[in-house]
Amino acid sequence: MLVLWLIVVLFVGGVLAGLAERVHAAASRWVTLATLVVSAILLWPLACAQPQAFESVAGQSGWLAVLQWEWIPRFGITFLLAVDGISVLLIALTIFLGFIALLSAWEEIQTRVGFFYFNFLWTLAGVVGIFAALDLFLFFIFWEIMLIPMFFIIVIWGHEDRYYAALKFFIYTQASSLLLLLSMIALVFLNWQQSGEISFSWFDLLGTKTEGVFGLLLMLGFFVAFLVKLPGVPVHNWLPDAHTQAPTPGSVILAGILLKTGAYGLLRFIVPLFPEAALAFTPYALIIAVVSVLYAAKMAFAQNDMKRLIAYSSISHMGFVTLGVFSWNALALQGTLLQMIAHGLSSAGLFAMAGAIQHRLHTRALSEMGGMWSQAPRMAAIAMFFAIAALGLPGLGNFVGEFLVLLGSFQMHPIAAILAALGMILAPVYALYLLQKSFLGEQSDTFSAHSASLFEFKAREVLMMGLLIFGLILMGFFPRLLTEYSDVALNSLQALGWGP
Amino acid sequence: MILYLVLVVGLIIAMLAGPYFLGRRRVSRAVNEPYECGIVPVGSAQYRVPIPFYLFAIFFVIFDLEAVFLYAWSVAVKEVGWAGFIEALVFIVILLVALLYLWRMGALDWRTTRQKRDRARVQPR
Amino acid sequence: MTIEELIALVPLLVVASISVILMLVVSFVRHHRLISLITLAGFIAAGIMVFQSMGQPAIQITPLIILDDFSRFFIVMTCFASVPAVLLAYDYLRRSEDLKEEYYMLLSLAVLGAVVLAASNHFASFFIGVELLSVSLFAMVGYMVHGEHKRVSTLEASIKYMILSGVSSSFLLFGVALIYLNFGVLTFEGIQQKILNGTLNGYGMMGIAMLLIGVGFKLSWVPFHMWTPDVYEGAPVPVTAFLATISKVIVFALGLRFLHESGALGLFNVQAALAFIGVLSMLVGNGLALMQDNLKRLLAYSSIAHFGYLIIALIAASSASATNKALAMEAVGFYLVAYVVTTWVAFGALSALSQPEHGIEAENLKDYRGLFWQRPWLAAIFSVALLSLAGVPLTAGFIAKFYVFAAGASYTLWFLLGILIISSAIGLYYYLKVIMEMCKPAEDENDFQKAAIPFENKLILLVMTAFVLYLGISPQALIESLNSAIKVLM
Repeated sequence: MLVLWLIVVLFVGGVLAGLAERVHAAASRWVTLATLVVSAILLWPLACAQPQAFESVAGQSGWLAVLQWEWIPRFGITFLLAVDGISVLLIALTIFLGFIALLSAWEEIQTRVGFFYFNFLWTLAGVVGIFAALDLFLFFIFWEIMLIPMFFIIVIWGHEDRYYAALKFFIYTQASSLLLLLSMIALVFLNWQQSGEISFSWFDLLGTKTEGVFGLLLMLGFFVAFLVKLPGVPVHNWLPDAHTQAPTPGSVILAGILLKTGAYGLLRFIVPLFPEAALAFTPYALIIAVVSVLYAAKMAFAQNDMKRLIAYSSISHMGFVTLGVFSWNALALQGTLLQMIAHGLSSAGLFAMAGAIQHRLHTRALSEMGGMWSQAPRMAAIAMFFAIAALGLPGLGNFVGEFLVLLGSFQMHPIAAILAALGMILAPVYALYLLQKSFLGEQSDTFSAHSASLFEFKAREVLMMGLLIFGLILMGFFPRLLTEYSDVALNSLQALGWGP
Repeated sequence: MILYLVLVVGLIIAMLAGPYFLGRRRVSRAVNEPYECGIVPVGSAQYRVPIPFYLFAIFFVIFDLEAVFLYAWSVAVKEVGWAGFIEALVFIVILLVALLYLWRMGALDWRTTRQKRDRARVQPR
Repeated sequence: MTIEELIALVPLLVVASISVILMLVVSFVRHHRLISLITLAGFIAAGIMVFQSMGQPAIQITPLIILDDFSRFFIVMTCFASVPAVLLAYDYLRRSEDLKEEYYMLLSLAVLGAVVLAASNHFASFFIGVELLSVSLFAMVGYMVHGEHKRVSTLEASIKYMILSGVSSSFLLFGVALIYLNFGVLTFEGIQQKILNGTLNGYGMMGIAMLLIGVGFKLSWVPFHMWTPDVYEGAPVPVTAFLATISKVIVFALGLRFLHESGALGLFNVQAALAFIGVLSMLVGNGLALMQDNLKRLLAYSSIAHFGYLIIALIAASSASATNKALAMEAVGFYLVAYVVTTWVAFGALSALSQPEHGIEAENLKDYRGLFWQRPWLAAIFSVALLSLAGVPLTAGFIAKFYVFAAGASYTLWFLLGILIISSAIGLYYYLKVIMEMCKPAEDENDFQKAAIPFENKLILLVMTAFVLYLGISPQALIESLNSAIKVLM
C-alpha cells in the first residue's frame, strides 16, 4: 500500500505543481519540494524495515509491501506492486536524485515552470512505478509513461538541437519497447499453454520453460529493450544526443535514474525468466559489455562537448552492469547494484556540474574553457572530486561497484573481466582530460567577463553537490549499509539463475 | 476458347498496328478536325443548357422507375395480401413525400434562378 | 413477417424514417436546430433500443437482415458514433453559407446504410448497404460548394470518390456474380457449406478476390488507397470524420462477418492475399504519412496504416482453436472501437480550430505551432489523440495494439508482427512531429488559435477524450460486451 501511495503522491504532486504556477510563479518549486519530502517520508518505513518484515511471495523470499488488485481479468493482468531490497534501494536513489535535480532546476528553469515540474514529477512517478511493478503489463505501462514527460522536458526546455534529440530518444525507446511488449505477450502465452492459466505476474511466469530457439528469441526481445535503455553499444546512439540536449535537471534524471531502469530490467527479468537462454547468450552479452566499456571510454576521450563526454562515460560505466548481470554470482550481483547506485550519484554530479558551467558560460565546448580553477576554486574542487569518483578511486562508491563486478566476473569469465578492467585505465584518461581542459591549463577569454563572485558556486549548488559527495563517500567506506539491505533479495534472485 | 481469345486480340492488334505501318502521315489542319470528311463544325461544343432540362429528365427517370416496382406488386397483389398492401402504401407515401419536398424546393419550377429573382422584383407592381 | 421480427426491426425503421421525416419537415419549415435535433433524437433512440435488446437471441428477418449480438454491437456503435457527426456538422454548417438541412438527410441515409451493413448476412443487403452508404457520401463530400468562401477542393474530392467508389462497387458486384455462379447461393452461411463440400472452383476464388478488392477500396487498403488522402483533404471536417470512422469500421465489421461465416478466411489464398495487403498497408501508409504537412492527409495515411494493423487480427481470426479465435475477434472489435473514439477526438480538435465561415480549416501543420501555450487543454487533448493513434499506454489505442499483438502472437504471425513493430516506429515520427509543432514557441499571433470553441465541439472533445482514457485504463467492461457480441459467431 505504501508504494502505491508513493506513486500516487508523485502523480498528484505533479498535477498540483502544474496548477500552482497560476498562484505564483515560484510556487511550483515549493510544491515539488513538498511532494519530494512527502515521498521521502513515505519511503522511510520501507527503508528501515528489519529483515523479519520481509515476507515470501510464491516461494520467493524478501518481499515488502505486496499489493495485488484485479485489473483486466481477461488477460490475467493484475495491479501488482511489490518491492524487495533491490527495488527499495533504487526507489530511494530515485527520490534522492529527485531532490538533486530539483536543486539544479531551481534557477535554470525559468519558462513554463508549472508544466516543467508536472513533467518532472510524472517522470519520477513512472520510474518509481517501474521499480515497484511486478506485473509485466503494469511494468510496461510505467516503462512507457515515463517516456512522455521526459520527451516534453527535452523538447521544451532543451538546448539547440532538442527536437532531433527528443525524436531520436523517443523512437529508439518506443520501437524497442514494442519488441519488449511482443516478447512479454509471447512469454505469457507460452506460460498459458504450459500451466493452463493466463497471468502477467512475474511470480507466475518464473516457472515457464523457455528452452530452445524460441526461448532465446523471447529473451532477445527483452534484452534489446533493456539494452537500449541501458544503453549498450550497438543501440547507444540516442544517449549522447538526448543527454546533451536535455536541460540540466533532465540530464540528471536521464543519467541518474532512467538508465537504471534498463539495468533493473536486465537484473530482474533476463536471467530469472530465461535462465537457459541467458546462459546460451552469455558470450555475446559479454562481448557487448566489454565493447561498451572500452568503445564508449574511447569515444568519451574524443569529445569536445562537455555533456557528450559525460554521456559517453555513462555508457562505459553501464557496460559493467551488463558484465555483472551475465556473470550472475553473489559478488557480481552486489557489484552491479552498487555500480548502479554509485553511477547514479556520480553522473548526476557531473551533469549538474556541466549544467552549472553552461549556465554561466553559455557554452559546453571544452575548447573554450580552461583555467577556471583560479576563478572558482570551490567549484573546481568539487569537479575534481566527481571526476576522480568517476574514474573509480578507492574509497568512493564507484570503486566498490566496479571492483565487485570485476571480482565476480573474474570467477566466471576471466577473459571478459580482464578486458573490461582495461576500462579502469581508460576512465582516468577521459576524466582527467575533462578536468584538465576545463579547470586547469591556460585561462580562456570566454569567462574573463565574469567576475569571480558571479562565477563561484552558490549555497544552493554547494548543498546539492555536498549531498552527492556525502553519498559517494558513505558508499565507498560503508558499502555494507547497502549490501546488508539487498542481500536477501539478491540471494533469492540469484537462486533463480544458473548458479555459480 | 483460347484460340478465339488469341484471334480477337490478334485482330485488334493488327487493326491498330496496320495503319501505323501502311498509312501515310501528313500533318494539316483538316486532319485534326473531329469529322475529317464531314460537316465543318461551327461554334463551341461547350455551351450552356438550362439546368431544368436535366432536372426534369432525372425526375422522369426516377419516378418512372419507381412506378415499375408497383407492377411487380400488382402481379402478386392477391398472394401478398394486406401485408403487401401496407408495404406498397409505405412505398407510395415515401414517393409522395419526396415529390412534396421537390415541389416545395422549387425543383419543378421551370425558371432559372435569375428569372425567379426578376419575377419576385416585378410582382408587387 | 411476424410481430417479433417487426419489433426487432423497429430501430432500423427509425433510422430509415429519419430522412423521410426530415423531408417532410423541410418542405414546410427550414429550421436548422430543429432538423439537427430530430436527427440526433433518431440516432439516439435507435441506439438505445438496440442496446436494450443486447443479449436476446438472434433473429433472422427475411434472408437479408440478421440481428444477433454481433450486429447489435456494431449498430449501437454506429448510432452513438453518429451523434458527434451531427453535433460537429451542426456547428460547422451554422457557420457556413450553404443549404444546411439537406445535409442531415444525407447523413441519416448514410447511417442507414451503415446499419444495414452491420446487420447483413446476405450479399443483397451487403450491396444495398454499401451503395446507400457511399452514394450519400458522394454528396456529403462535395457538400460545401456554395457561398463566397467555398472550399476549392470539395468538388474534386467528391468526383474522385464517386468514380473510385463506383469502380469498387462494380468489382463488388462482379465478385458477387462470380460467387453466385460458383455456389448458387447468396447467403454467407450457404457459402460455407459449399466450401466445406469442396465445390469451390476458380470462379468462386475469383469472386472472393474481387470482393476483397471492393472491400479494400472502401477500407483504403494499400493498392487501392489512392483516393483516401485527396478525399480526406477535400471533404469538410465533419464529413471526413464520418468517412474515417463509421464508413470504414462498418465495412470492416461486415468483412469480418463475411470472411468468417463463409469460411473464406480459412482459405490459404485469402490469408496470403490479406497478409500481402496488410504488409503493404502498414509500410506504405506510415511511410507516406512521413512526408505530409497537411494534417488531414496525415490522418488519412495513418488510417491506411491502422487498417493494415487490423489485418493481423483478421488473419488470426481464422485460428482453429476457439479461445484464440475469440481473442482475435475481440481484438478486431476493440481496435475498431478504439479507432473510432480516437479519430473523433483528432477530428474534433481539428474542427475546433477551423473557421468554416471563411472556408478555412486548420489542416496545415504550421497552424498548430505553439498551440500548447495558446490553448493548453486543446493541445493536451489533441496530444492524447495522437498518442492513442501511436499506441502509447493509458490510451485506448494501446490496449487495441496490445490486443493485435496478442492475437498475432496466438496465431504465430511473427513476420506480420515484425512489420507492425517497424511501421509503428515509423508512425511515431509523424505523430511526434505534430506534438513537437505544438510545443514550439508561437512565432506570430495565430488567428486560428484565437477563436472561441463552440459548445458542441467542446462536448465532443471532452466525452470522446474521456472514452479514450477510460478504455485505456479500464478496458474490462468493453472486453466483456465484446465477448458476448462475438459469441454468436463462434
